[in-house]
Amino acid sequence: MTLLSRRSLLAGSASLAAALGLNLSALTALAQDGSKTLRLPLLRASGNLDPQRYVGIFAVQDMVFDPLVQYGPGGAIEPGLAESWEVTPDDTSITFRLRPGVTFTDGAVWDATSMTWNLERWLPKEDYRWLQVANNFKSIEVIDPMTVALHFTKPTPTALTELSYVRPVRFLSPNAVDGEGIYNAPVGTGPWMVEKEGPEGTDLVPNPGYWGPKPEIDRVSLVVIPDGMSRISSIIGGEIDAIGGKFIAPISPQEATTLTNNGITVVTQTGTDTMILGFNPRIDLFRDIRVREAFNLLIDRDGIAQVVMKGYAKATMNLYPEVIPHSGTRHAVPARDVERAKALLEEAGWTGEGTRSKDGKLLDVDLVISEDAVAGSRALGEVLQAGFMEAGIGLSLRNVDHAARHGDIPEFKYDLSLFVTNGAPYDPYNTIGLMFLSTVVPGTDGKIYEDVALDPLILAALGAAEADRPAAFQAVSDWLHDNWAIAPLFHGDRIWAHGDRIKSFAIPATEYEMPLKTLSL
Amino acid sequence: MTWLRTTFRVVGWPTLLLVSSFAFIAIFGSVISPYDPAAQNLSHSMQSFSAEHWLGADNLGRDTLSRLIAGAQTTLIGVVTVLLLAGTIGMMLGTLAGYFGGWLDEIVMRFCDFGFSVPSLFVALAFVGVFGPSYTNMILALSIAWVPIYARLTRGVVAAAVSQPYIESLRVLGASPARIIFRHLVPVALGQVLVYASADAGLLALAIANLSFLGLGVQPPQAEWGQMLVSAMPYIQEAPRLVILPGIALTLLVIGFNLLGERIALAKNPRAMSRRKLSLRRAIFKKEVEA
Repeated sequence: MTLLSRRSLLAGSASLAAALGLNLSALTALAQDGSKTLRLPLLRASGNLDPQRYVGIFAVQDMVFDPLVQYGPGGAIEPGLAESWEVTPDDTSITFRLRPGVTFTDGAVWDATSMTWNLERWLPKEDYRWLQVANNFKSIEVIDPMTVALHFTKPTPTALTELSYVRPVRFLSPNAVDGEGIYNAPVGTGPWMVEKEGPEGTDLVPNPGYWGPKPEIDRVSLVVIPDGMSRISSIIGGEIDAIGGKFIAPISPQEATTLTNNGITVVTQTGTDTMILGFNPRIDLFRDIRVREAFNLLIDRDGIAQVVMKGYAKATMNLYPEVIPHSGTRHAVPARDVERAKALLEEAGWTGEGTRSKDGKLLDVDLVISEDAVAGSRALGEVLQAGFMEAGIGLSLRNVDHAARHGDIPEFKYDLSLFVTNGAPYDPYNTIGLMFLSTVVPGTDGKIYEDVALDPLILAALGAAEADRPAAFQAVSDWLHDNWAIAPLFHGDRIWAHGDRIKSFAIPATEYEMPLKTLSL
Repeated sequence: MTWLRTTFRVVGWPTLLLVSSFAFIAIFGSVISPYDPAAQNLSHSMQSFSAEHWLGADNLGRDTLSRLIAGAQTTLIGVVTVLLLAGTIGMMLGTLAGYFGGWLDEIVMRFCDFGFSVPSLFVALAFVGVFGPSYTNMILALSIAWVPIYARLTRGVVAAAVSQPYIESLRVLGASPARIIFRHLVPVALGQVLVYASADAGLLALAIANLSFLGLGVQPPQAEWGQMLVSAMPYIQEAPRLVILPGIALTLLVIGFNLLGERIALAKNPRAMSRRKLSLRRAIFKKEVEA
């Protein structure tokens, strides 16, 4: 009986080893056959890729649809479907000369007609007023079949940057809609064409007629892997080639450490956004500058950057990281100073042992955290909680899901909340324009701070001519800093990781694109 | 010392050791805990087993042993409170329904039917969803979810006892319903409820861990095993101990409560064999036959 069991065991093991051996050789063959299929994970299915709708995955839309102008590293505006452009000195008109010889992948021609057709789908509409180009839009003037001018009602210096965004500004073939003008196929002029798409993933192949440099890869296979741990296992197991990108397949600092320990190449770059602890500007407590300063002084920013973010972040007191244009001079990160914070709170009337109080009201505040909206917010909240407690501030963490956060934050139903600035290509304009200006109705991401004294500075920065822009943005940055209006925490690194099949890799300029421009297998 | 010997005989020393250890930790936790369980020391983040931190430190440099001890307190206080609340309310409803019968019995039993038709954890989830996540709300939610169990159990025992001749005699002798209920029926039901509660405690400990794991129970900085588990998940590769240790603590507590419940049930009714005991006895019998 025992002998038979041993035999069975041996036979079973041999079969298993043989099967594994076959599979391994199959994998090796795949890796050595010169196949240039790049396998990347996606957080969720690509969805409806209509460039004028806010549904699809940005990076997939970016692969298929081109912009008029492209956002390069450091915010440099480069030619796209527009070969060149001229901006009037008062920033009220831009004349674009369109790139000749470009066609959509269905054969439609790229010219003034197709450009106008696309712009008219969104530019005059109310829903897109969050963009200055739409808010200040006056008219489109077709000068000749390859020259188009955009006119604005007032100076719009943000126009070129905004026209580099992925949505709603990218260009769809006029034939890719049904009789009622509703999108029905992802047809663009971009370097890639969608070959197959579904809930399990999207396959893209190069556009043979692409006007720019041809991709070095034969196919990009995007596989939907919603679970973070599964994505990590997949890249360690060699089933995917790269992982990363905030909106593609994000990697947390802890996961980056795990990947490094497993021999996977981890590539990082200073991020373009900032994690900020925001004070609800509509409650009395935070109208007192001494309270805001005290909260700021109780934060161990270096500890957070080193421990919670595992060193994949840089402590800051600035609204924007240096990589964002006009981010201004760097403000010194204050050392944690509990005694000074306590003195400020006493001065502000918040006194007593344990949790402080004023006029019978306890200094108890809540912090909205949401792991699915702001990854790592729970650990971050716990560090802040311990830090505030030392000075007699009670902080309770209110854990909500993504949808609840998007409901509570615009309605100012919080005391403290974590915010992330928009990053490239949206900043420096979007965050101050949409999340600080008191006259703007808060969007789903809410307001980081608002003050009528700050509004003129923001409006001056948004409307400043190129020469005046650095000083105008510096004034906004200084006001925020001098008034302790916000508590910037850190600039998180952008993290990507790739396996051995990838020979050259560079992190793209924004979080809204795939790292394909310089990638080779 | 007879009571001690009886307890040892009924419960068995391994079970007693397990449960009393947790009870000891829960009662004297604040004294024996080496550190404040909420105290962070970021420079000790992810420290492994050491003389300073016997069971290591977590991602925020908090002492794991202190947090496990605090977790035991949180869980056991939660379990006892829920059992007291649910047991008291359930017994009250069950006794009234069993004694008076009629429409009162109908109402209480339909309430129980409704309670049984919805899984207890779902009821708790709905309550926490409406009133917000907190330790107190979790206790209330679980108490509400557990009331039908004790109400039905008590009602069954009381309904059976009411038809006994000695209760009939008491009625004839003019004893008031309050006297019959509190002096004669409640003590009968209490025994059954206590036996059930001892076995049910393990399930409740799991429910508390589940809700906290989902972020709907205990909130930071209070330590709780389910919360420790979820916080440690991202570090499972780098420091598996952060997941394994609270997992072991929870498993041991549940095993302890289950064994306790089983032993008490067996002591009260030796003929009612547990499945585990039956299979053990069958195995011994088979070996004897083969020999």
